[in-house]
Amino acid sequence: MSWAVPSAPGIQPAPYYSQPISTAYTPVSIRQGFGQAYQSQHQYPYNAPANPLQPSSTMSPPSDQQQQQKFDWPQSVRNYVQRTFQASNEIHGVGREEKESRLKEIIRSEQEKGTMFTTNWDEMPLPQQLIQKERQQALMAAVDPVTTQSKPPSFATNSKKRKSSDFSEAEQTNGSTVPWRSTKAHSLEDRVSKPANDKRSLMDGPLTGKSKFHKNVEKRQRRGDGGYQSSYRSPSPPPSSGPIVGLNTNLEKKYLRLTAAPKPDDVRPENVLHHTLDLLKRKWRKENNYNYICDQFKSLRQDLTVQHIRSEFTVSVYEIHARIALEKGDLGEYNQCQTQLRALYKAGIKGNPIEFKAYRILYFIHTANRTALNDAIADLTTAEKGELPVKHALNVRSALALGNYHKFFQLYLDVPNMGAYLMDMFIKRERLAALANMCKAFKPELKLRYVTEELAFESDAEAAQFIIDYDQELLQEREDHIVFLTGKAGQIFENARAQAFSRVDLKGQI
Amino acid sequence: MDGLIRQFRVAYAATNGEQLAETLSPDVQTHSAKLRAIWGRGDLRSTTADLNFLFHQDQARLSIRLSKEETSGWYAIYTAYWKAIGEILAAEGLRHDAQSSWAKVYDAWKDLTLLTVRGYTNHEFENWTIPCLYVTGRYLRLYAMRADAERALNNDNTAVDELQDDFDPQAEENKCLEDCARHLNRIFQICASDRAPLEESRKWGVYYAVNLLFKTYFKLNSESLSKNVLRVISAGRSDIPPIDKFPKSQQTTFKYYEGVLAFLEENYVEAEKHLEMAWLMCHKNAQRNLELILTYLIPCRLLTTHTLPSAQLLGPFPRLQKLFMPLAHAIKKSDLRAFDIALRDGEDEFIKRRVYLTLERGRDIVLRNLLRKVFIAGGFEPAKDGAAPVRRTRIPITEFTAAVQISSGEAIDSDEVECLMANMIYKNLMKGYIAHERGTVVLSKSGAFPGTKQDRRRYTYVIVISRAINITTSLSGSLAEVLVPNDYKKYDGWCMGGISHG
Repeated sequence: MSWAVPSAPGIQPAPYYSQPISTAYTPVSIRQGFGQAYQSQHQYPYNAPANPLQPSSTMSPPSDQQQQQKFDWPQSVRNYVQRTFQASNEIHGVGREEKESRLKEIIRSEQEKGTMFTTNWDEMPLPQQLIQKERQQALMAAVDPVTTQSKPPSFATNSKKRKSSDFSEAEQTNGSTVPWRSTKAHSLEDRVSKPANDKRSLMDGPLTGKSKFHKNVEKRQRRGDGGYQSSYRSPSPPPSSGPIVGLNTNLEKKYLRLTAAPKPDDVRPENVLHHTLDLLKRKWRKENNYNYICDQFKSLRQDLTVQHIRSEFTVSVYEIHARIALEKGDLGEYNQCQTQLRALYKAGIKGNPIEFKAYRILYFIHTANRTALNDAIADLTTAEKGELPVKHALNVRSALALGNYHKFFQLYLDVPNMGAYLMDMFIKRERLAALANMCKAFKPELKLRYVTEELAFESDAEAAQFIIDYDQELLQEREDHIVFLTGKAGQIFENARAQAFSRVDLKGQI
Repeated sequence: MDGLIRQFRVAYAATNGEQLAETLSPDVQTHSAKLRAIWGRGDLRSTTADLNFLFHQDQARLSIRLSKEETSGWYAIYTAYWKAIGEILAAEGLRHDAQSSWAKVYDAWKDLTLLTVRGYTNHEFENWTIPCLYVTGRYLRLYAMRADAERALNNDNTAVDELQDDFDPQAEENKCLEDCARHLNRIFQICASDRAPLEESRKWGVYYAVNLLFKTYFKLNSESLSKNVLRVISAGRSDIPPIDKFPKSQQTTFKYYEGVLAFLEENYVEAEKHLEMAWLMCHKNAQRNLELILTYLIPCRLLTTHTLPSAQLLGPFPRLQKLFMPLAHAIKKSDLRAFDIALRDGEDEFIKRRVYLTLERGRDIVLRNLLRKVFIAGGFEPAKDGAAPVRRTRIPITEFTAAVQISSGEAIDSDEVECLMANMIYKNLMKGYIAHERGTVVLSKSGAFPGTKQDRRRYTYVIVISRAINITTSLSGSLAEVLVPNDYKKYDGWCMGGISHG
């Protein structure tokens, strides 16, 4: 899988020459690379999309002609070529020649390895994407040469791993296609392209200097005039802004906050992430270690984000993380997931919107965020309002809005899905509110039993404890029951209520 | 170009800011021909040559004195303006040689805005030229919204910030508008932080900039940012001229936003104050603005003073009539069911206007009116010899339960009714206490329902606090208490929610 090795831009192992050795002339091709890059920009508008099948036929290197006869290009390859030249897949700044030569390189290397039929062409990044990615990397390398130097070894191990598996497969299935050639080509390429990679980053030296110089100039300008020049001229982010495609195959990954653009070797592609999710689900069930799980989910989410993956899989990742966070009362993480889910559902991606829209309402009841609550209701369709979980959440909301604690605590006893975890967050505060209410309205006393039932305590003991925590004098034993002396409570619960609500305001989004 | 600069000179010689700002207007609808003339053949070189000549060589004809700094500032502004015009014409499809997008228009106009701001920081522009800031800021916002809409249409998701763990949906949706908000904030800062003496200070631009910012922040749904701006203004109130010295239009807009912000914070007393000022100052022909103000003022009054709008007040606003009249009727008739239906019918619109959660609390008033009906229907205790008859104040819960069931059309148990009554007492809508064990409510002998008129005689009165309102001029008429027999038709202005028993 030589395509996976990001050699620097401009290095095209000259596909027209049958001897791979010619790739050693790196300095020359670098020059060409730059020339092409500039040329291509000029040519860009005039390039009409070519007949997609043509390139594939011109593609086959002349020396392989005898092979071509027995080689019937698989449909997937043809599609791949077609996609490469589709106007919609055009990436600005990547010229036609560059694309063409890279395409040839890719197909040839697949052919040499004999993996032409086993490779999943549908998921193979397009040549222009690869070129773009490499440019980005080169740019990164230019900014931070240290990481580039440490990069190659990790690469080697990585690509070796993949290669060994690929080869065993290839030999089994397609051993007939000149195995000697492929191995040779590979070892050579390995040897050649890596030093070239380093050299390339060295060659970038002057470029780096220039950009640094630019930065300094900008900084000076910024100092000089209220920020005008910098925003006026600051170049839009590096020309290549397409999503990166990950190359990392580890299932687990520690979460680290990004401080620079992510590198493909650190990012796991979607198919790996699917396995990751399965693994995490298993581990969560078995070990129930929230710190570990949360960390893993965060890195999983990060990998999805940097690769711009927004699919049903993405939704399920956020949903699962949200549920776990709910269970553990980690409202911060929960809220992040919920915000993402809202946008994902809005984009029409399938999941469990009913369940999570209901949570969302309960969450904003907890944070007492009226504006957000209003928005959450605005997000609901008429059909959704009729669904049980959403209906329940809306009823909770209106019960509280109208001070109907009786209804509220009945709703608390029967919550769909995991909503009870959310309601637990504000149940104490609402009990205080209800008690403040009761103490003002009911005179001179109430049976404790009544309080237990109205406020959905599990037992009289629990209700008694709750009251005693605020004032020990408020309960009194009678012959066969205990009474709650509402008339004597004064402002105790009113004050406790005010305090409980003010704390939420401060906490806000935690 | 020549004509444009001539206009500039005239405006400059007259130190007329509005006229000067007019030269920077990009309004294609009204000035299509003029803009096309300015764009000319779209040749940058000849344009710069023209501007060079007009600003540098042709000083004699200027008849105004521009400092060297000012000259270079204006020169840059008109160059940027020219470029932006090119993009706008292209985006509007008025150019045959090129097409453009609103994103490009936005960028071009942003350059112009930044250059205008720079005019004040670096090129010694005087404060009478501030309208130029207005016009650039105003159109920057419009172009930002168009660019965002355009992107949404193309489903182009390039706004992802690679360094974030999660993508930011808000930033994606309103990328340009958020950027725009930053520039508008900069305009605000430029105005607010000027330390020149008041006569020549840019502080006179503050409220225009603030209103533009409010508009943008509301669109972005970030009231918290609006509040920050409000804080800055109140902190610097000592040196920002008092608001009543600003044009009325700016005062009205500002008061409206100030009121709505207080409203959203549930500070209804404060909100009512600001909204009422906005209402009084608003131009009588600005129907749309009047309607917006009332949208928030009506729910405010419902909660603060329990008053409802009259049909007369809502006469000119059919949309508001449709929204609020059913609620008002339900409240007057103390009909829980009608209230619930009216609230549900208007729900979408109420939610959109963010008054739903406020109006919902009007149900308390309906309930209060209903309970009061029960109280009045309860009649009097048997009179003791010679003494005046006294109202029955010990009322079985079951009577209230029956009333609530009839009114809401739903079954309800007595525990819930007790809960609702407890709420009435807690909220001071009803005076008395509940004796749970005995299943009765004991109401206060003097004014069981504060805020409503106590009837002293055997037959009932409708109690109305009528506020004579001259719709267009004044809200706060005389507060008159009128006893009117059972007749709803005569209500006028704001009338009391508390109502009759027939």
